Amino acid sequence: MGKMLLEVKNLVYEFHLNRRIKIRAVDDLSFHIEEGEVFGLVGESGSGKSTAARCVMNLYRHQGGTISYKGISITDPKEYRKNKKMLCTKRQIIFQDSSSSLNQRMKVADIIAEPMAISHMTPPRKTFRKEAEFQLRYVGMDASCLDKYPWELSGGMRQRVAIARALAMEPEFLAADEPVASLDVSIQAQILNLFKHLQKEHGFTFLFIAHDLSVVRYLCDRAGVMYRGKMVETAPVRELFDNPLHPYTKALVSAIPVPDPVLERKRKLLVFDEESFRPEGRLQEVDRGHFVLKND
Amino acid sequence: MKHLLEIENLSVSFDTSQGKLHAVRNVSFTLEEGQVLAIIGESGCGKSVLCRSIMKLLPPSARIHSGKILVKGQDIAGCGEQEMKRLRGRLFSMVFQDPMTALNPVMPIGKQIGEAVRIHNPKMDRTAVRERVLELMELVGIPCPDKKYKLYPCHFSGGMRQRSVLAIALASDPDLLFADEPTTALDVTIQAQILDLIRDLQQKLHMAMILVSHDLGVVARAADQVAVMYAGKIVEIGTAEEIFYDPRHPYTWGLMMAHPSFAKEGEELSAIPGMPPSLLNLPAGDAFACRNPYALAIDYKEEPPMFRITDTHYAATWLLDERAPEVRSPIGGHRYG
Repeated sequence: MGKMLLEVKNLVYEFHLNRRIKIRAVDDLSFHIEEGEVFGLVGESGSGKSTAARCVMNLYRHQGGTISYKGISITDPKEYRKNKKMLCTKRQIIFQDSSSSLNQRMKVADIIAEPMAISHMTPPRKTFRKEAEFQLRYVGMDASCLDKYPWELSGGMRQRVAIARALAMEPEFLAADEPVASLDVSIQAQILNLFKHLQKEHGFTFLFIAHDLSVVRYLCDRAGVMYRGKMVETAPVRELFDNPLHPYTKALVSAIPVPDPVLERKRKLLVFDEESFRPEGRLQEVDRGHFVLKND
Repeated sequence: MKHLLEIENLSVSFDTSQGKLHAVRNVSFTLEEGQVLAIIGESGCGKSVLCRSIMKLLPPSARIHSGKILVKGQDIAGCGEQEMKRLRGRLFSMVFQDPMTALNPVMPIGKQIGEAVRIHNPKMDRTAVRERVLELMELVGIPCPDKKYKLYPCHFSGGMRQRSVLAIALASDPDLLFADEPTTALDVTIQAQILDLIRDLQQKLHMAMILVSHDLGVVARAADQVAVMYAGKIVEIGTAEEIFYDPRHPYTWGLMMAHPSFAKEGEELSAIPGMPPSLLNLPAGDAFACRNPYALAIDYKEEPPMFRITDTHYAATWLLDERAPEVRSPIGGHRYG
């Protein structure tokens, strides 16, 4: 077992719609990520995956539970302030929609260099521009894009710029919130290869959020399945897909489309009965590293 | 026998400030009654434009250059808007990608479906319309239709919204349904349900369908025929089995190998390098040549014609010419079960 990098315990986050109605987006969520691991988070839309990621990145203020990163409790304001610089530079996030997460009025070179300028970092390659060029080449784009604006680039290229911006800070922990959801299969494959390559080279720790299960199966070491703000099952990816235990995971795994007409037409869908979902209960270990939400 | 839909050498271009944009180039195919044709390809390959040009729903800057669109033997390529209005709905109907933008957010679902029913049967009285709406809602699997009749789209989940859109599309009893990425905006579990529903209805009502998708799994589940489009052209067309088990065009190979489920443990995905070309000024020769690892010298000079493999399977690649070196497909060839 590796060293624990991130540990989330009983995280709660509620959105208040008005004075009376509130939505519990993340409900008593616990998971951990080890150093150098790719952890996938899957679930349907509205299950609280992105909210959890944003809490982990301190973009949302948590409302209950604790999150610790490298032993530092980032949910404790005092400790967070003390380690703010490290936390802000060593953790980076890549958002789903690259067109709205890049500033439309800035050139690519400035976008990539901005986090370095903000954190008063001396670029290892002398100037900001050289550094931006290096990062851009690293993600597979050429220097001619440096003076372009985001709208001049295609979706796949914009996503690469967003990745380059995150990488410029040389992070240890990278959260990627559906980074390939809006891309074509061929471009998606390019980006996934890039992630895999980066992970091998740098040994990043990844929190990878996706709703496409075949992507998670390809990229991640371990994955957790979320449903209505709860973690219902976590296990190593292979175990999760070959031997799903929670009824929701079973339904989810049965829904992965297979690009093979004969197999695909024979495939039977399992339907998860929403009424039968009982949020109470806790995660219990059934096999080594395989946890399932169970009622006692 | 007359085909339900026959497209012959259809070319569509857009007039833009930078010149002519050839969105659809020389496309031909036929579709029989009760069949499902899937069109796959990367975005910007002209899939949606092809659908819209068959329905004649193109913006004014678009022009159909040449070609015929034969629907049940009648050429509609030259029809005016008045005539098209009559044909649309009766012949064609469409389901869009995003159910939220396709529905009116301030109108109850029942009323929206009723609107579609009334337009096609202006003489129907109020109770008959209501009956028909409830029947349609039942058909697309909306539970307790009389309770849901007065609800608004915001009360519905994504899957239920897509079902309502489908009910509207079916209100006119079309012969041909266009489904433009009907499941892309939905969750995986819902996606399969909606897909099965569409497939069931299509068989029950014996209607033909053109399914636009970039998800190979979706296509494998629903399609009888598959057309692969690249840069406005159909580069390979055949039955689903032929395309998935015996693909011939390097672009089809690339699309399939890029899919994560084909990746072997610990190996890299084989992505297609580069981007699809801009349709504004296409290179000479095969548009795919510069991304094609199997490209031959002739690919850069001359566009390949459609080579016949079987009666239903055609592909446009010089690799099928008898003078070409033999290249073994890196994928396909195995049939399971």
